[in-house]
Parts: sequence; structure tokens; C-alpha cells
Amino acid sequence: MENSSQESHLRSENSVTHESPYPLYAMAVCGQRIAVGSFIEDYTNRVDVVSFEPESLSIKTHPSLSFDHPYPPTKLMFDPNSSSRKSSSNRHLLASSGDFLRLWDVGDSSIEPVAVLNNSKSSEFCAPLTSFDWNEIEPKRIGTCSIDTTCTIWDIEKGVVETQLIAHDKEVYDICWGEARVFASVSADGSVRIFDLRDKEHSTIIYESPQPDTPLLRLAWNKQDLRYMATILMDSNKVVILDIRSPTLPVAELERHRACVNAIAWAPQSRRHICSVGDDSQAFIWELPLPPVAGPNGIDPMSMYSAGSEINQLQWSPAQPDWLAIAFSNKMQLLKV
Amino acid sequence: MDAPPPSSRLQSILQEAVQSVQWTYSLFWQICPQQGILIWGDGYYNGAIKTRKTVQPMEVSAEEASLQRSQQLRELYESLSAGETNQPTRRPSAALSPEDLTESEWFYLMCVSFSFPSGVGLPGKAYARQQHVWLTGANEVDSKTFSRAILAKSAHIQTVVCIPFLDGVVELGTTEKVPEDLALVQHVKSLFIDDHQGHLHPPKPALSEHSTSNPDTSSCHLRFHSQPMSPMCAAVNDDPPVNANQGEDDDEEEDDDDDDEEQDQSDSEAETGRNSRQGAADQIPEAVVPPVPEPSELMQLDMSEDIRLGSPDDGSNNLDSDFHLLAVSQGVNPADDQQQRGDSHRAESSRTWPMALQEPVMIGSSLQLPPSGSGQIPPEEELTPEDTHYSQTISTILQKQPTRWAESSYVTYSSTQSAFAKWTDRSDHFLAVPVPVEGTSQWVLKYVLFTVPYLHSKYRDENSPKLGDVGGDPASRFRKGTGTPQDEMSANHVLAERRRREKLNERFIILRSLVPFVTKMDKASILGDTIEYVKQLRKKIQDLESRNINNQILEGDQRSRSADGSKDQRVLDRNARVGSGKRKLRKVEGSGGGAKPKSVDSPPPPVATSVQVSIIESDALVELQCGNKEGLLLDIMQMLRELLIEVTAVQSFLTNGVFTAQLRAKVKDNVNGKKASIVEVKRAINQIIPQYVN
Repeated sequence: MENSSQESHLRSENSVTHESPYPLYAMAVCGQRIAVGSFIEDYTNRVDVVSFEPESLSIKTHPSLSFDHPYPPTKLMFDPNSSSRKSSSNRHLLASSGDFLRLWDVGDSSIEPVAVLNNSKSSEFCAPLTSFDWNEIEPKRIGTCSIDTTCTIWDIEKGVVETQLIAHDKEVYDICWGEARVFASVSADGSVRIFDLRDKEHSTIIYESPQPDTPLLRLAWNKQDLRYMATILMDSNKVVILDIRSPTLPVAELERHRACVNAIAWAPQSRRHICSVGDDSQAFIWELPLPPVAGPNGIDPMSMYSAGSEINQLQWSPAQPDWLAIAFSNKMQLLKV
Repeated sequence: MDAPPPSSRLQSILQEAVQSVQWTYSLFWQICPQQGILIWGDGYYNGAIKTRKTVQPMEVSAEEASLQRSQQLRELYESLSAGETNQPTRRPSAALSPEDLTESEWFYLMCVSFSFPSGVGLPGKAYARQQHVWLTGANEVDSKTFSRAILAKSAHIQTVVCIPFLDGVVELGTTEKVPEDLALVQHVKSLFIDDHQGHLHPPKPALSEHSTSNPDTSSCHLRFHSQPMSPMCAAVNDDPPVNANQGEDDDEEEDDDDDDEEQDQSDSEAETGRNSRQGAADQIPEAVVPPVPEPSELMQLDMSEDIRLGSPDDGSNNLDSDFHLLAVSQGVNPADDQQQRGDSHRAESSRTWPMALQEPVMIGSSLQLPPSGSGQIPPEEELTPEDTHYSQTISTILQKQPTRWAESSYVTYSSTQSAFAKWTDRSDHFLAVPVPVEGTSQWVLKYVLFTVPYLHSKYRDENSPKLGDVGGDPASRFRKGTGTPQDEMSANHVLAERRRREKLNERFIILRSLVPFVTKMDKASILGDTIEYVKQLRKKIQDLESRNINNQILEGDQRSRSADGSKDQRVLDRNARVGSGKRKLRKVEGSGGGAKPKSVDSPPPPVATSVQVSIIESDALVELQCGNKEGLLLDIMQMLRELLIEVTAVQSFLTNGVFTAQLRAKVKDNVNGKKASIVEVKRAINQIIPQYVN
């Protein structure tokens, strides 16, 4: 990190704070590298890659590791393979979504654009993307979801569309892989659907929001126990836990947030733990019973953390399982769990 | 076949499982570690009961009755297998005798005698593959496929499912034809898994069980392979419902001889059991328990004489008939299974995924699935194929899970260095929490999901950037996205609406070009003038038509004049359609001659100069017709350019010295932010074009 310059962080024993010049939303963690996307209500936005130094509990910025992004990136994600490799090399593939799915090669001292993936045959634009997910088992595969009700599966090695599915009746807001060829998505139509690429004709609705057409905003599949996934609803303080084997009814609803939930993340190394963050500026870690059936009084969080303001983003990376990254206002904070 | 004594817990789960889905029976095939074979572990019979025998003739609940029945059946089996089939004296007074049994009970009873090496038979396959096996049409398959097929036939057991667990296989069977239903499988799994996790839920039995029994021949002549079979057991037939709640039984009868009473009740099914065809069904009058108003048919019991329980020597081999075996494939490859499932036929009484909310399927709690084929039609019958599809998907997903689960340790996050504090519900924790203003919840998230994508759309519309302009120039023109999410949600419609408007404007331009005397350029004026114009045209048509009639009348007179069409006639030939020029609208002015319209085509030397200008927003259309002169087109375009009108398309032609042109153009703002007016443009054009108007 020869080009590291100043340190912008606040230190304490169990948390590290990075203060950005601009508000932050998108975030991706890969080993000690963290990509943060600005949230500026304008065309000009930026993605910065900073590095976390666990020894000194500090965060270093690298002015050269930065690139412009049109409007705020809706999601950032590192190549799951490189993030699990614990960064033997310092080159990582980073993907961002927004107008297109873009791939970036994050090197030691620079970030080079690798590809701009556009699936539109008829025009030079594809419909803007709300999110995407990188397939861990098949890392050449990325699924994107769009406001045009479709999900697109990319082969990023070849740079071609593997398939495109009209997934929902309305905008698709999030997508999540469960297996090499199975993914789930949530939509403004209020449903969680599971897709199997071996049979593209069918999808299965495994959950629908109780109020018809209440959009489902985010989805997280428990990678440690694929029976379970979690989703959040618009204007809701609930985290809805679903069991894919029992469609229709959630197995549990976590409703201890005092305001709406903004992000959820399953623990990378435990089947039972999930974190949620919300407008109440709280981050909760929940330890779910097994099976995750709520008692009459519901389920209480196991632990909690209060940030200074509404927490908008949450990442719990398998490459850095002891640290949980949250973003609120213009801060990115790493919290020891 | 030594089955371990029934563990009450196992039994209660089996009971819960079968009752919650209202099937006929449930069995647990237990793996014998030494021999590696699956043997009867326990079971619960939930089907039709013919006669009841209890020690105490007191009222018992349906559940108790069923439980009791299961135990009695087991006792009967043990007594039967103890040696002779006729050993009445050794049995307690309340014990059942074979003639007390329905066919499905027989099936259940016989199952006790089976055992399956891993990989053999339905339970063996399910166990070896660690994947459930679903068989429909169990009563129709041959014995090679389903070793208890003949029993199943007589018992009308149609559907059997075997679900593997670590230490054995759970089998459920029903007299209904039920297509593969993953929800059911998962439900049963969850019951057992939960139990293993120590979360045993108390059984919630179905209160009224309308299980029924069928007066069929029970062909019990199976010689059981002790080895290779698939697990399936009891069957219940639907017929007269027996309310199990009324299970008051009398014990009067201890009929012990199983084999004696043989009455041939050859039913339609009798022929199915070919070699077992000695169904002696006995009407056993004594067996009728007075308090239980059971239909008389129930008492008919077919018994086969040569039941040899537990004798491993005789093989059953018979009945080759069609069968549908689901998910029983040799390959462990899930793809095979999927294919087979895909081929499986579906029964009428298919149970589909309970998609509707009113059909809760809860894992981990007891579940009451509607009996298949009952009035509770699943909401989306047509979803049935998706069951298969989804079950494949689920099994694919979960295939890898057992290993993962095993690996995943219970991480505990309670380190003292954690940034997280123990959660408490004390509200003072929240005092400092800024309460989001109403309507601003999830603001950033909503902005990212609802607004940002449409910003991209808008930006593209307005700027048409080239692909890959990573971080291109800031869109200074673009106003800050202050729209509410709701506004942005409709951006799609905005786009569509915008296209529609553009099209509309285009059409207005065309319309404008068709109408010669439009003065004002707003749409209302164009429409108004068009209406006026159409009226005029109509009138003219009428005039012409009436004139035509006159012409015909006066044909003789007119002929000489009409030959000279150009006489006193002014012809305005206008290009009727922008961009096409194919269709011509002819406007005949001057009625002097009363010439036939045809004559218009003859070239009129005098050129009527006509200049039409339309400007709608930034689109302009100039049409002109005049006498030609050198460099006319160039002059016009140059002049337009001086007026900040950028010509984008020109169509012009010259016929007999008449210059006709259409120019489409974009009108730009001048320094004052104003556009050239129609009048200005017209005046300028008129200054250029040669003016020799007749």
C-alpha cells in the first residue's frame, strides 16, 4: 500500500470508523479491502477502496484506488473467490451495479475498468440494475436484477448473457444465489421467488408480503443453512425469516427494531446468527433458535450496537467474519462482533 | 424381525406426522447397524378400523383409539409371528385377531415382517440415497418395484413415501392418490429433525379422522422376502367413514383363528391378487361391535391362509402392471430423480403448494394439511407441475446441506471485546435514537432502489451518453433528484408518456402540413383548423359530386370546354403527406369552368406559390411550392439557418418548373431564449422565392 496516505478513522478497542467526504451507501468487504460507494444525489459519485489494518485498528485510504460512478452504485461486491482466498494477491475483481453491471480490477495502485456488461440487444442501454449477486459456487456467474422486472444471469468470463428471465410482475429489488443454478429474488410485487436455471419456465413463490404489493426490498439467503432466508419489507421494522421448505408463511419475524430495517446479513460462519440494521440507528445480532420458531413473545436480539444515525448498509464478509461493516451517514464502521 | 419396543417418543412423532397429513399409516424403518438393514422400528396406524377391542370399554379419543390400535396390531403381529398363526390362547383377551382387521390394517401389519438392506426396496433406496422416494400407484405396480405391491393392492394403498433420516427411514402411506408433495415431505422431515433437536412438538392429532375401510379382498398371500423391499405399509380405503371417536370397542370376541374364516369376498379387486387369491373373507358376526355403527361391509375380511410371516424363503413375484415410481432411480444423481419425477403422472387429487395464505404450512409445528382430494382444493391446481419443479430445486439446494450443517459449529458471539452490547429492551437505550420523521423511513434504501435506476433512465434519455463512459461528465443539466420515490416509481410511465407525446407532436406536424390555412400553431388551433378544413373538403366533395351529376346531364355541352382544362382553373397541387409524397390531395379552386376533376392532372403552367410553415415546440416543418430559380433550395436553407432553424431533412422535387419542397427542421432558441416565429419564417421565405403569382 505504498500509496496510502492519511488515516481517516476514529479508533477504539472494538470498532474502527472511516469517515468519508460524502455519504455512503454501497459497501463491499474483501479481506482487508473495503470498497465504499458514495451516496450523492447527483450524477457524479465515487467508489473508494480503503484498507483495514487489523493490527493497528486503522483504516487507510488510497487516493489512487478510486473511480467515478454514475449515480450511486446500488451494490458493490468483490469476487467471492478472491475474498475467500484471503487476498494472497492484491488483485481483486470488484463489481458494481447501477446503469450497468461493471467489473473493475482493483490492483495495488490503481483500479482499471474491466467490463461494462450490457444485455440490451435493441438499444445501447439495458434497464438499470437495483442489485446483483455473485455466485460463490460458480464465480463466473453473476445474477443481476432490474427495474424492468427481469433478472439476468451473466457469464462474466465470456461477457455474455447466459439467460434472462422475466422474474416478477414489477421491479426486482434484490437477488440472491442459493446454489450454482438456483437463485431467489424479491420485488415490488411483494413476492419472494425461487428460480432454478434448469427449468426456466417455472419459478416458485415462497413468500408474499402480507399487504398485497408491499415491496420487498432486500433478500439474504443463509449460506450456512440454505433452508432459511431473510427479507425486509418496505416501511417495516420486521426481518422476515423464511424456510424455503415451507412456502407462504414465514417461520419467524424479528420485530425489535424501533424503526424500519434497512439491511440484513447472515453470519458468515454460523447458521443461527443474523444481523439487521435500521433507521433506529441500531444494529442487532440475533441468535435464532433452532428451528427458528418464535415463541409467543417473539425473538429478542442477542446483542445490539447503536450508531449515530440511521444505518443504511451492512456487510458481514466471510473473509472478515469477526468484523461487521456498517454504513451510516458519511461513515463506514467496522464493528467487532 | 425383532423390532425394538416402541419408543413412546418415536411413536408420538410418527403419530403426529401421519395425523397431520391425514394419511393412513406411518412407519419407522430403523437401521440395524450390525447388518446394515432396515427393520421395523415403530409405526402408527391412522387408517380405517374394522373392529375395536379394548380392555376397558370406555370412551376413548380417536387418538387413543388409534394408538391403541397400533399397539394391538403390533401385538397381533407378534403373536402371529410367534409361530403358528393359530395361537389364540396365547393372546390376551383384548387382542385383535386377524379377522378383525381391515385390509389396510393388514397391510400395516404385514409391514412388520419386512426388512430392507440399504439400497433395496423403497426404504432401502431412500436410505441409501438419503433422498425421499415417492411412489404413487403403489397398488398398481409390480412386486419387483414395490415388494408389498400385492398387499397394497388389496389394501388400496396408493401412495407411499419414504423419507430418509440418519438412523432410519420414515415411511408414510395413504389410500389416496397423492402426487409428490415436497411440502409434505419437508413437513415430516421437520417433525423428525425437530425432534432430534429436542424441539419435539406435542402432537396435535386430527380430531376427526374420516378414515374408512374398504371391504376388499385382502390378499395376504404374500410370501415376504425378508430382504429386498421397499417400505410401505398400511392402507386405508375410502369408503364408509368410521369415526374413530366412537371407538368404543367391545372385546367380546377373541377370535383367534385367523385362517379359518375364509370367505371369499371376491371383489373387483380380487383378481388383482393373483396368486394370493384365496381371500377368504369372513363375515364375522361376532366381530361387529355393537356400539360402533360400522357399515356392514367393514366386517368382511379376507384372509389368506398361507400367510407366512417372517419366512424369508418365499418370494413374491407377480403382478406386472404399470406403475409410477417417483424418484426411484438407480442413479444417485439428482438429475435422474428429477427426470423421473418429471415423468410421474399426477393424480387427480393432487395437492399443490398451499400458496394461499390461508393454508399455513409451518415447519416445526404441527401441520394440518387438507386431506388430499378433499374439498379443499388447492388454490392453484395448475401449479402442480411446479411442485415437482420446486421439489427438485429444494432437494438440489439441500443436498449439500447435511455436510454443511455438520461442519458449521455454533459460533458464539459473546466476546467481551465485541462492539455489541447485550440486548436489553430498556427503552432508555432508544432515547438517543433519532426517531425518523414520518415518511422518511428507509430513505437511502428507497432512494437507491426506487430513484437511482430511474435517474439512469432519465440521464440516458437526456444525454444519450456513449456506452462505457465510466464516470462521465457530471450531468450539470440534470436537476438534483429530489423527486419522491413515488414519483420515480412511475418513471417508466413517464418514459412511455414521453414517447407518446413525441409521437403526438409528430402527428400534429403532419396534420398541420395537411391543412393549408392553419394560422396558429397550438394544438387546439391545429385541430380546430383541421375540423374546419375537413368540413370544407366535405362540402367540396358534395359540390363536386353534385357537379358531377350536372356534368353528366350537361355532358354534351361541357365536352368542348372540358377539353381545355386549363382555361380558368387554378390548381393547387399539394403534397398531401409529409415524407411520403405519394398521396396527393388535390384542391380545386375556382369553380369557373366546371371541369372534371381529372383534368387537374394536366400540367398547369401558372404556379401558385404556397408557403406553409409549422413550428411545434422545437420541431418545424416548411412546405413550399413555387416557381423554380437557381439555387433556391440552398438559399432557403441558408436563410433558415440564419433564423437558427437547423434543417434535418429535405424532400424536394422539380416538375415543369415548379419547385416543391418539404423541409423538416429543429428550431433553436436565439440569444433571447426565443424561437423564430412562423410569421418570421414565412416572411423570410417569401422574400426568397420568386413571386409570380397569377
